[in-house]
Amino acid sequence: MNREPEYIQTNRRDFLRRALKAGASVAATCSLFAWLYHRSRSGRPSDDKELVTLPDFSIPGFPGKMSIALGENRADTVRRGIEALGGIEAFIKRGDRVLLKVNAAFATPPMLSATTNPLLVAEVARLCYLAGASSVVVTDNPINDPESCFSLSGIAAAARSSGARVLMPRESFFEPTTVPKATLIKNWPILWRPFRGINKIVGIAPVKDHHRSGASMTMKNWYGLLGGRRNIFHQDIHTIITELAVLVRPTFVILDGITTMMTNGPTGGSISDLKQTDTMIVSTDQVAADAFGATLLGKSVTDLPYLAKAEAAGLGTADYELLNPIRLQTG
Amino acid sequence: MARTVSRTEITVGYVILLALVTIASGVFLSQFRYSPAIIESTVIEKQSSSISPFHAGTLGDLSRFAPNGLTPPSTPEIYNPENLSDKINGKAELYLSAGFRRLLTQRFAASDNPGAWLEVYVYNMGSLRQAFAVYSMQRRFDAEELELADFAYHTENALFFVHGPYYVEIIASIGQKKLAESMLAVGRDFISKIQVTRDRITELSLFPSEHLNRGAFALLPTDAFGFHRFTSIFTAQYAVEGTELTAFVSRRESESEAAELVVAYTRFLVTNGGTELSSTVEIPQAKLVEIMDTFELVFSRSNLLAGVHGAENREAAEKLGRLLGRKLQEVVR
Repeated sequence: MNREPEYIQTNRRDFLRRALKAGASVAATCSLFAWLYHRSRSGRPSDDKELVTLPDFSIPGFPGKMSIALGENRADTVRRGIEALGGIEAFIKRGDRVLLKVNAAFATPPMLSATTNPLLVAEVARLCYLAGASSVVVTDNPINDPESCFSLSGIAAAARSSGARVLMPRESFFEPTTVPKATLIKNWPILWRPFRGINKIVGIAPVKDHHRSGASMTMKNWYGLLGGRRNIFHQDIHTIITELAVLVRPTFVILDGITTMMTNGPTGGSISDLKQTDTMIVSTDQVAADAFGATLLGKSVTDLPYLAKAEAAGLGTADYELLNPIRLQTG
Repeated sequence: MARTVSRTEITVGYVILLALVTIASGVFLSQFRYSPAIIESTVIEKQSSSISPFHAGTLGDLSRFAPNGLTPPSTPEIYNPENLSDKINGKAELYLSAGFRRLLTQRFAASDNPGAWLEVYVYNMGSLRQAFAVYSMQRRFDAEELELADFAYHTENALFFVHGPYYVEIIASIGQKKLAESMLAVGRDFISKIQVTRDRITELSLFPSEHLNRGAFALLPTDAFGFHRFTSIFTAQYAVEGTELTAFVSRRESESEAAELVVAYTRFLVTNGGTELSSTVEIPQAKLVEIMDTFELVFSRSNLLAGVHGAENREAAEKLGRLLGRKLQEVVR
């Protein structure tokens, strides 16, 4: 027996009531979805802003300083270089949480000097712990197979041997940032998670020739914090390096010129691309450090336009002699 | 007459509406959360068991070139123009400007010593000339040339050569005799197994042999000497009267283009602070410019553009210019 369907008669009042119900359903669903979506995301600042910002990690009131230590031994030269600036205690205090930003861009052996030397990583991490640091984290975003890069460069083993923790990039580690007055770094993902809880950052980079920018040193080293299709920035390399230096105000930087990659950078590939230059630079002024590093490559400040740009942006001085660098011989 | 619907229809309607709203909300929120970091990671063509053909079936897996005692600890990786910089960072521009197509890389480690490994990079540059361009621009001049191929050399830890459209680098983790032998074995095997069209770079024979530093040729695909119209410029290094000199030759589309480029380059130099001088070289329309304490000589013969670049000594520059002019005259005669 067919049952007569139940009919509902609609009028204007019913229509409005149903429209309200539908609207409420939409609002409730959106709210639920948004709540679930945001709850599942980690690494976001507690104030829930869309963009993250990096704090200034430099030591307040600490003027621009630089030391230039000559010698063959990386551990000796960096230790003596830091001592010349007042010792590691001048930078790292008890309980500090330190981030070492290394150059682990390539899965190449330390012998090729395309990446931060592992002996240097181990020594700096050791010094930080000696000064009372509560944690030392080592990171970079090589994009291509980070495990291989950290492993084959020897950085992972060196970090672990000195008690530091290696943080390799993962998708969830990236958050967007915008650099004030920037033309390139606008709402762009950076490797942000390793910075959580950090209050000191030390950049450690080798001196290298660079096909596009002329040189890869401490300022270019921050490029490894960028996520996304960052290769597009190579079209405006001097601007992106300057903006990166605005983004990251380090506690101090270490520029490793013990072995300099003179040609075919930034990858190199042959020992014949390298030159023994036996120089370690430690500086609170990354512009000055790179300006001196340029001389190891046989280049001048005018050969590297990003130095002038960074100086004009008030990030430091390209005339490193103004800092009265402390020169010392080790070994 | 009023329209009526059943309760079932109402329930189904609400469910569909909720589903649509959920999907729309997801799309709406996600488009604000665009992450290039995520997009980028999916672009990389890291291959494992599903490695794609590298070049029309001629290459596929580099492990077949590995000699005994070397095993691949890593899977092959393939890069294209969009993601080459993921592998070689800032050096990608050098390859891209020379016509790069694809890169195939793979590491091999010694079975008895995992710390001794080598990585093979095979760049498909599309043509012999383009492969030669990237080879020559990275040439280590203190390296030892090899008979392995027309263009080949090795250093303490690496082997570099050109085979047809392929530019090959084999880089070892340590400088070790055993690894050096393995590199050579890989290179020989690659050349014997990969058939390529036999081709020659005819421009190299345009340079006079007198005072020439053998092997010091290069091809600058774009922006040679900072001048954007100087494309496909071949250079050769010379030592004349104790002065290091660079000679250059480029085959242009027509005689008029070559002649026009002489004028354009001279104008470019003068605009950038150079001073045009009267040349003693007996070549019609040859231009000599002094700029920043160096001398530039430029001229044309038929459709060949030629000259001497960045010479510190005027006499040496003009001497080499005469040699080059005579050689080109013989060729175009």
